[in-house]
Amino acid sequence: MTNRRNFLRTTGGMLGAAVVSKAAMGAVPEAALQTSPQTQPPLEPSNGRPYQPVVTLNGWTLPWRMNNGWKEFHLVAEPVVRELAPGMKTHLWGYNGQSPGPTLECVEGDKVRIFVTNKLPEATSIHWHGIILPNGMDGVSGLTQPHIPVGKTFVYEFVMGKSGSFMYHPHADEMVQMAMGMMGSIVVHPKNPKFMPVDRDFVFLLSAFMIEPGAYTPKVAEMLDFNLWTFNSRVFPGIDAMPVRLGDRVRVRIGNLTMTNHPLHIHGHHMEVTCTDGGWVPKSARWPETTIDIGVGQVRSFEFVADNPGDWPLHCHKSHHTMNAMGHNVPTMIGVDHRGIAEKIMKLVPDYMVMGERGMSDMSEMEMPLPENTLPMMTGKGPFGPIEMGGMFTVFKIRDGLARNDYKDPGWYKHPQGTVSYEWTGAPLATERAPAQAVSAPKAREFRAVKPSGHSGH
Amino acid sequence: MVLLTACASFSPDNGFDSVKNAVNQRTSAEPRWARTDAERGEVRQAVTSLLGQPLTADAAVQIALMNNRGLQATYSDLGIAEADLVQAGRLPNPRFAFERLVRGDELEIGRAFIVNVLSLLTMPARTQIEQRRFAVAKTRVAGEAARVAADTRRAWYSAVAAQEGVKYMQQVKDAAEASAELAQRMARAGNFSKLDQAREQVFYAETTAQLARVSQAAVAERENLTRLMGLWGEHIRFTLPERLPDLPKAPQQLEQAESDALRQRLDVQAAMQEAESVASSLGLTRVTGFISLLEVGYQHNSETGKPPQKGFEVELRLPIFDTGNARVVRAQHTYMQAVERAAELAVRARSEVREATNGYRTTYDLARHYRDEIVPLRKRISDENVLRYNGMLISVFELLADARQQVASVNAYIEALRDFWIADANLRSALTATSPGATTVSRRTSAPSEATAAGH
Ligand SMILES: [Cu+2]
Repeated sequence: MTNRRNFLRTTGGMLGAAVVSKAAMGAVPEAALQTSPQTQPPLEPSNGRPYQPVVTLNGWTLPWRMNNGWKEFHLVAEPVVRELAPGMKTHLWGYNGQSPGPTLECVEGDKVRIFVTNKLPEATSIHWHGIILPNGMDGVSGLTQPHIPVGKTFVYEFVMGKSGSFMYHPHADEMVQMAMGMMGSIVVHPKNPKFMPVDRDFVFLLSAFMIEPGAYTPKVAEMLDFNLWTFNSRVFPGIDAMPVRLGDRVRVRIGNLTMTNHPLHIHGHHMEVTCTDGGWVPKSARWPETTIDIGVGQVRSFEFVADNPGDWPLHCHKSHHTMNAMGHNVPTMIGVDHRGIAEKIMKLVPDYMVMGERGMSDMSEMEMPLPENTLPMMTGKGPFGPIEMGGMFTVFKIRDGLARNDYKDPGWYKHPQGTVSYEWTGAPLATERAPAQAVSAPKAREFRAVKPSGHSGH
Repeated sequence: MVLLTACASFSPDNGFDSVKNAVNQRTSAEPRWARTDAERGEVRQAVTSLLGQPLTADAAVQIALMNNRGLQATYSDLGIAEADLVQAGRLPNPRFAFERLVRGDELEIGRAFIVNVLSLLTMPARTQIEQRRFAVAKTRVAGEAARVAADTRRAWYSAVAAQEGVKYMQQVKDAAEASAELAQRMARAGNFSKLDQAREQVFYAETTAQLARVSQAAVAERENLTRLMGLWGEHIRFTLPERLPDLPKAPQQLEQAESDALRQRLDVQAAMQEAESVASSLGLTRVTGFISLLEVGYQHNSETGKPPQKGFEVELRLPIFDTGNARVVRAQHTYMQAVERAAELAVRARSEVREATNGYRTTYDLARHYRDEIVPLRKRISDENVLRYNGMLISVFELLADARQQVASVNAYIEALRDFWIADANLRSALTATSPGATTVSRRTSAPSEATAAGH
């Protein structure tokens, strides 16, 4: 472990090819290590069956080796430090240096052998979510296999059947282990590279954490009150943009390992769900949508043709999921006059500032000191000002003239003249409007409620 | 007859100088006995000038030692004791008896000049006894002055702390007021339910009541101090400093506290002097126990037709019915009583000094704990809460509730500091002067209760 950690520090962001004690492991393949939370370029297959690789948003694909017709991967379950966004590091559990773990890519019909080494402080196992395989390879500790004890390596061997998008996660103390970030994506490419080809293929998982402001480790017992909603354990503005060449056909595969559903919404385009973790959706069954709801434990792949240049958001439409840590019990301050009170409060709390009187945007404008390791609840700067978003939010950057395999951030969209909303500078419009806020109490009862009084009605 | 003129006389200071020294050593203030109008005027002037600036603890003690009228009354004990001493040095006035008897035509005139010889014989012993009594009186008066000084010192700490407490309670009230007002505006804007608003309102209302109580307590403490200093009229408008003195850098080292106390304590000294004085009077009673009265008279009898008879008359009451042993027994018991009292006091002084030493260390450590641990931690919590407020993670109401907690912790420190200074005064008293009385148990009036913090 120490050696791996030192290696991590010295390589800084490079895809590491560190070896987990090669001598001890014997025939076990190297367990590659990732030290960067940035999106890594697609890993072109150098051996085995050919396919069009995916790009893991803020993640990477695990290298493999071929061994007598077996595709061999090595996953190391271990504690990791994951940066959720610049300014916030978390103590998670993951695989091979990151949470989520690397994407496993293979091809329909591949014989895969996956070595899993447990470097966690407790036993684990891996369940291959959505993949049809022999019962004893399903990774349900206790039911289909013994737990993988601390320090031990287990081997899973099966044939990848159907193509599609799947997930892996522990099925041992999974409440804790998933709350700590143990998960990863599996992409099984079709044997026929011509089957439903796309130009850009992105994959990521949805996960949620409850991390107290100022803390580093998720509260594993949390059920509902999460405060960090992530794409691949990253929150906006830490989530990379997805650069897309104008006219590309784009596929996005999203798996949901949170405890709630997420209606993911795309701007500027219509899309269709083309695949679930159950298989490909026949053309005749697809609905055009701009929002697809991804239920708990589901994987959905949607496709669209990027025919509309610009910077187009993709985000969860539950608006609290596009916020970072925020108080869930703060009263609404909108429209409350603070005159005279702020001074009184400042006598006791000298650093006090009035906030929320107009809304919550104050947050993204004021840049006030926060507890350590805590991201502002809405943040991210765009070319026109604060974007006022956090959590599950990113942007498709659709540009003309990108190279086929170019995933570099092309910068902000340059709008053609006359295509940006602008301020009206003509004569003021004479519109009759109701007063902004009716502050007086309603004069008449709007509805009657039955008083819970014991001695009424007689 | 020359003998009879050898009489004790009054000292110019009535023994007050030794009292002054004893008290001065122990309180670093100087008692003053104002016996004349002129002296009383001087005292009044001195008091006025001491009250010209914010009153320090030492100044308060100084004022009490010269202006507390009860203490002035006690000083008069010196005069009384000295008068007794002077009295003891003087013989009782001789008696002159005159007899005129007529028997028929016989006239008999008897004249007798009778002097109490025993008084004369025992005068040195009685003078010595009275001298001892006078010494006891001086020690007792000094002890009483030291007690008033300690009471005044304690009252000063209590009054200053109470005054500070009012200031902090005022801040809590301000915070509650801001919460209540904000809640009212929030309700008006439609953002708060009547329930939420009423919760903030009731906290404010309760805080107002608490402030009234704390203010009353501060008045009571101040009046106690005023009484001890014997002030009235214009003088009651004295100002107290804003805050208590800081905690000393290090606590006093207290080795041999018990033996120091036995050596220095005025009440112990007085009890020992008392026992000595009783012992000497026991000796006297032993000597004179059966001689109740010995009187010597010079008689001059003249009878009609006879030459005058001259001679001495000695009257000695025979110890037949009263052998005097009752008085001796009484004196013995009185002596034993005095000895046991002195012993009891010594035991109590040792115990008190141990208790006071422990109280001193405990209150010192507690005050330091509040100052170095609790208050900074509360401050840190408040700082962190401001950061949380900045992130809209908590509301302004929680921020204010927390500010109240911080205020309460500062107030708790002030109370701990007050307890220390009172313990310091008690220790001083237990070591050098007199019984400190019941050691003050820390009265926590502003325990930071989590209940008040649960604003939301
Ligand atoms: Cu969501």
